[in-house]
Amino acid sequence: MQVDRLTNSGVLQHQRFQNGSEDDAAVLLGAGPCCRHFLRVKGLVKQHIDSFNYFIDVDLKKIVKANEVVTSDVDPSFYLKYTGIRVGMPERTDADAAKPCRLRDMTYAAPIAVDIEYTRGRSRVIRKGVVIGRMPIMLRSARCEKVILVQEQMSKNRIIIQVDNKGFMAANRKSKTYVVYKKGALYLKHNSISDDVPLVVAMRAMGMTADKEIAQLVAGNDPLFLDMLSPTLEEGSASKLFTQRAALDWIGSKTKVTRRPGMARRPGYEEALEVLANVVLAHVPCVYAVNNDNMTDDLDYLGNKRLELAGQLLSLLFEDLFKRFNYDLKLNVDKVLKKPNLAQAFDVYNQLMCHGDLITQGLTRAISTGNWSLKRFKMERAGVTHILSRLSYISALGMMTRISSQFEKTRKVSGPRALQPSQWGMLCPADTPEGELCGLVKNLALMTHITTDDEEEPIRRDAALMTGAELHTPGTHVVFLNALRFVRHGRIPAFVSIYIDDHRNTVNISADNGRICRPLIIVENGKSRVKDHHIQDLMAGKLEFDDFLRLGLVEYLDVNEENDCNIAIYEKDLKLYTTHCEIEPFTLLGAVAGLIPYPHHNQSPRNTYQSAMGKQAIGAIAYNQLNRIDTLLYLMVYPQQPMVKTKTIELINYDKLPAGQNGSVFVMSYSGYDIEDALVINKSSLDRGFGRCQVMRKYTAMVRKYANGTFDRVRYAHIDTDGMAPPGTRLETGPDVDGGNDINAGVGGATVEYRPTPATFKYPDHGYVDKVMITTSETDQTLIKFLLRQTRRPELGDKFSSRHGQKGVCGIIVQQEDMPFTDRGVFPDIIMNPHGFPSRMTVGKLMEFVASKAGAIKGELQYGTCFGGSKMEDMCRILMENGYSYTGKDYVTSGITGEPVGAYIFNGATYYQRLKHMVADKMHARARGPRAVLTRQPTEGRSRDGGLRLGEMEKDCLIGYGASMLLLERLMISSDVFEVHVCEKCGYIGYKGWCQVCRSSKTMTPIKIPYACKLLFQELQSMNILPRLVMEDI
Amino acid sequence: MSLADRNRVVILEDRVENIHGAEFPMGFDEKELPFNLASFKDSFDVKIVRVTPTDIEFDLIGVPTVAIEKVYMINNTGIVQDEVLAHRLGLIPINADPTAFQWKRPTDLPTDQNTVVFKLEIACSKNNEAADDEADPKKKYVNSAVYSRDLVWDPKGDQAERFADKPIKPIHDDILITKLRPGQSISCEMHCEKGVGKDHAKFSPVATASYRLLPEIQILEDITGDDAELFKSCFAPGVVEVVEEGGVRKAKVVNPRKDTVSREVLRHKEFEGKVRLTRVRDHFIFNVESTGIIAPEELVAQAIDVLVEKCDIVQNALANIGKNSEDDEE
Amino acid sequence: MQYQGQPAPIRQQPVQMTYMCADCGADNDIKPKEPIRCRECGYRILYKKRTKKMVQFEAR
Repeated sequence: MQVDRLTNSGVLQHQRFQNGSEDDAAVLLGAGPCCRHFLRVKGLVKQHIDSFNYFIDVDLKKIVKANEVVTSDVDPSFYLKYTGIRVGMPERTDADAAKPCRLRDMTYAAPIAVDIEYTRGRSRVIRKGVVIGRMPIMLRSARCEKVILVQEQMSKNRIIIQVDNKGFMAANRKSKTYVVYKKGALYLKHNSISDDVPLVVAMRAMGMTADKEIAQLVAGNDPLFLDMLSPTLEEGSASKLFTQRAALDWIGSKTKVTRRPGMARRPGYEEALEVLANVVLAHVPCVYAVNNDNMTDDLDYLGNKRLELAGQLLSLLFEDLFKRFNYDLKLNVDKVLKKPNLAQAFDVYNQLMCHGDLITQGLTRAISTGNWSLKRFKMERAGVTHILSRLSYISALGMMTRISSQFEKTRKVSGPRALQPSQWGMLCPADTPEGELCGLVKNLALMTHITTDDEEEPIRRDAALMTGAELHTPGTHVVFLNALRFVRHGRIPAFVSIYIDDHRNTVNISADNGRICRPLIIVENGKSRVKDHHIQDLMAGKLEFDDFLRLGLVEYLDVNEENDCNIAIYEKDLKLYTTHCEIEPFTLLGAVAGLIPYPHHNQSPRNTYQSAMGKQAIGAIAYNQLNRIDTLLYLMVYPQQPMVKTKTIELINYDKLPAGQNGSVFVMSYSGYDIEDALVINKSSLDRGFGRCQVMRKYTAMVRKYANGTFDRVRYAHIDTDGMAPPGTRLETGPDVDGGNDINAGVGGATVEYRPTPATFKYPDHGYVDKVMITTSETDQTLIKFLLRQTRRPELGDKFSSRHGQKGVCGIIVQQEDMPFTDRGVFPDIIMNPHGFPSRMTVGKLMEFVASKAGAIKGELQYGTCFGGSKMEDMCRILMENGYSYTGKDYVTSGITGEPVGAYIFNGATYYQRLKHMVADKMHARARGPRAVLTRQPTEGRSRDGGLRLGEMEKDCLIGYGASMLLLERLMISSDVFEVHVCEKCGYIGYKGWCQVCRSSKTMTPIKIPYACKLLFQELQSMNILPRLVMEDI
Repeated sequence: MSLADRNRVVILEDRVENIHGAEFPMGFDEKELPFNLASFKDSFDVKIVRVTPTDIEFDLIGVPTVAIEKVYMINNTGIVQDEVLAHRLGLIPINADPTAFQWKRPTDLPTDQNTVVFKLEIACSKNNEAADDEADPKKKYVNSAVYSRDLVWDPKGDQAERFADKPIKPIHDDILITKLRPGQSISCEMHCEKGVGKDHAKFSPVATASYRLLPEIQILEDITGDDAELFKSCFAPGVVEVVEEGGVRKAKVVNPRKDTVSREVLRHKEFEGKVRLTRVRDHFIFNVESTGIIAPEELVAQAIDVLVEKCDIVQNALANIGKNSEDDEE
Repeated sequence: MQYQGQPAPIRQQPVQMTYMCADCGADNDIKPKEPIRCRECGYRILYKKRTKKMVQFEAR
């Protein structure tokens, strides 16, 4: 196993990246009863890639189509028309893959080429493939030949939940329509109309002039509604606006018009029509809500939410930039065309080429800062992009399935944070951070898919065929075509959802983007449509998951559709009324929570804790980990796959890129150094390499040339002929030691001296140079990257954790001779205190102990998959058959006394993760050291060799105790004591022996005050406030 | 508690009883039962049950061995980093007689009396004889894997003569050290020193060394018929046999030594009160698994020597306490 | 100790150094201020070669 891994990860130095299998192969699990089954590992991040591909292939073309013509106000005969747009493959003359881009700090981008048609003088010119900018490319998308995942430097892992609210006070994002029930009558209220509009007037404005028509449309034949409506109708008659035109004019006069410059003023009735048609009509469902609580939408209901992905955000950004690009182009064209007597026919192509940077830079800047500031779309968002965390494979994976909510975290409402029943199977119930973002940041479940837009026309056609029934007839439904489509069997795109809203008597068909959905097996007459032979074909590779979709064995359901379905969890539960069956119940967890063995036996917060901690575990991060030069990289020297795996672990390839080791663990108290979750670790295990890890750190140096002709240089000094420490050099702490990487950059030239600025190694322990890379950056500057490496064995205070939210630090390292041992000579690697169990209730951990012990005895891996996994009875039987106690507890001899231990000790192999918090990175002490310039107080923080602060509360303790001299020492003498000379007469600070105010030398007294105090006095003085120090004898 | 019981550790279902020895004054039933050297000598007996080249079924701290301690890396372009490679090299058991070497203190210079030198010069290249579509790296390349057999002993001084009959080399030839690919090479020199396991696990002469107490199974009441079979199945094979006595199948303890003390029998209601599990407190079964550097039987003897030596030190120290305190009083 | 690396001789004159191409592995002699580019394949990333000095490691 070890050998194989070496081959895979290391020696061959595979370039392929982490996630999933790289082809879209279906992974078979010989699993559950219903679903002997398959889960297509389409990559856990398919949603990002799909979204990006959709943007490039579809959205981009739509945007260009919508803004295709550029004309000139000066020359009406001039036009420029975009006839097509393409994004090429990312190609560079010298580098065509993502790897060099990453190493050279460049953007992985592809040219955006457009086809244009324009007039030059009298003639019409057609040009193809004009490059107007460069598009950053998401890794692994269709335009990316290389097999790397998501855009490296700044990935869009952000998915924003937006409430598509049709609530009581419903509205679209920008406006709100209210139907107000006032004095018994209904009014329409909208923020673009200044007054409340009687409902009847509104109806009339929409063309329904007869009271009867209005009454029927609004209330049907329901007497209750009719009664309610009568005051409204009276109010309507009172308004005397009986025609559509009259009503429109009236509303028009009340409409607030947002006028864009250059637009002709339109008559009021047109405005009114527009407002009603575009805005108010969209909010019609609120009318129903007035009398019926059921009509209000649950804002937290997942079916009412849409997720925004990279593609949509990029498309907004691109549209904005493209419009700006065209606007600039037009201004320039106008400017040129205004000039009389052009020497030659004006060719817009040249103008086009001058603007090349606008789109490229706009895209790059937005992605690298994360600020989406698009005035055109009233969008102002920061933090849209985050840097993908590469600290561990799991953290990268977790980040790419993350969903963040726009909801304000300060609001004290529990609703948005609560686990919503509609999240079942869609969002992971365990994986959410603790603290202020709890419940607002979520993660996708394993099989979740997020839709992209589907073409709505064909669906509309089909939909038209099925409806047309009368409103309000019982049993008929209004069809809301959201932007949608139609029924399965391939007639409708796979991701279109159709559901019935019984409260509103509507059938909704959605084809919009951002809906969350997941695949389920279709059940017919109580039988699964997926038969054994399908599974066999799937295993044989004759069928793929997509074929299952095509054959109608499996379909994607979104949250709303799930409401109309009867979904069985297991095949054994199928009934005649069952419509669907889960593929695998464990897929309701996400990728990160999926690592936990037996999570269904744990107290739920423990699974949440582990979901947070799994991301900090040190292990293998990627197959290319040794070719990367990251700012900080933690690697485990001998990672192992867990003895107790889960199906999820296999699906996400955690067994190939693991982060942890299987240790022999005894649960017993030992030595007293194990209180508060501390662990006792076997020294011999550490000698043999247990928990050993490496820390790789990057140093960068730019060798620049400056505009004034001066330049940096790397000094050719004692380190090496080229001034750079070569790989293999041992580095010690401190400046200018043999091997301090002395990259001497400074300003040179005839008049300026070189100023040495060596980069020195400043970590407590020694390290080695791993790699030195030299290249040129995009701007043709020489770029040098150093990779430094430290190898660390665990020490006192290093943090470890099992996979059950049970973290602990190393409390003591014990010689193996002093460790307890079993009859068979089994010694522990780790001793864990049993007090960790009762209050935490991590039964799953106990089960992991037994299962991995049984697995180790039998020589096979065990499963701890959620809602399944190896059965405890089987595991205990294996123990018993092999001469171990059925309970997992064995007779143990104490290594200290040599006598038996009075209790049987629960022991087994458990997967332990080494977390990235290590003492070597945190230890800090200072006696004397640097001080801040302004206040002369000690600097703050470990990185600046700062002082240890005696804080507010510590100060209170000392005051309470009365230790005034200690206080004086800690707060002043050890900090910023300063001697000033104060004039006893005037109280001002003067010179030594001379008061400038009194012009006297007789009255000066030296006193000691904090420098910060002196500073305060001077600052006050600068504001014309003169503090005096009044001296008194004591 | 009967007199025989005081020498037994009692195995109960949920705990172990009578775990402490009583060979100290007032240790047992308030009667004096001090340790008696004479009777200890009388009853002391060592039986070696099983010896294989690396195992002896019979505490050993402080038996020194020789292991790689310093690695001088001249070149290493392989994928395994220098420190990791050095660590892996250190853990290889070296077949060098530790008694033939002197201790080396950190300040000592390396000499042929305290240091053994190994060299590793290896480079990987393409195998020109391999088929073009060969996928197995072992055939496709030359030296695709570095094994412990590739370590070359570099005798210093008179080492070549001293160890002529037993050349120094790793115990096992096929320990994988690292893997290489064409163009990669390793060149280093290793210095082995003498050390003890307390300092680092690589110096430990044993893989596992532990002991257990002799299990004892007392059948208090006859177990017959099907129960006898069930009883038998509660123990490791060979511990209990079912015998026919007067036409009745009866469970009989044959070889309690093989019992793994799994306590399975205590889980069955049928046997409640019928069986008593104990272990003999003064019957130790040692198991020593050598790494192969020192033969297990020799290892045990050496370990006992070390123990005796330590006892001597303690004895001397104890003897000196009186003198010193007298000195103090003066 | 004889195995301790000697301090490298201090050379005043900048000389060309040999770097390894990150793509094709070819050795490239580059003088200061020369463009950083592999002569064989044109790749623009080069790695510095391993130190020639002997480095001592503890086998622990």
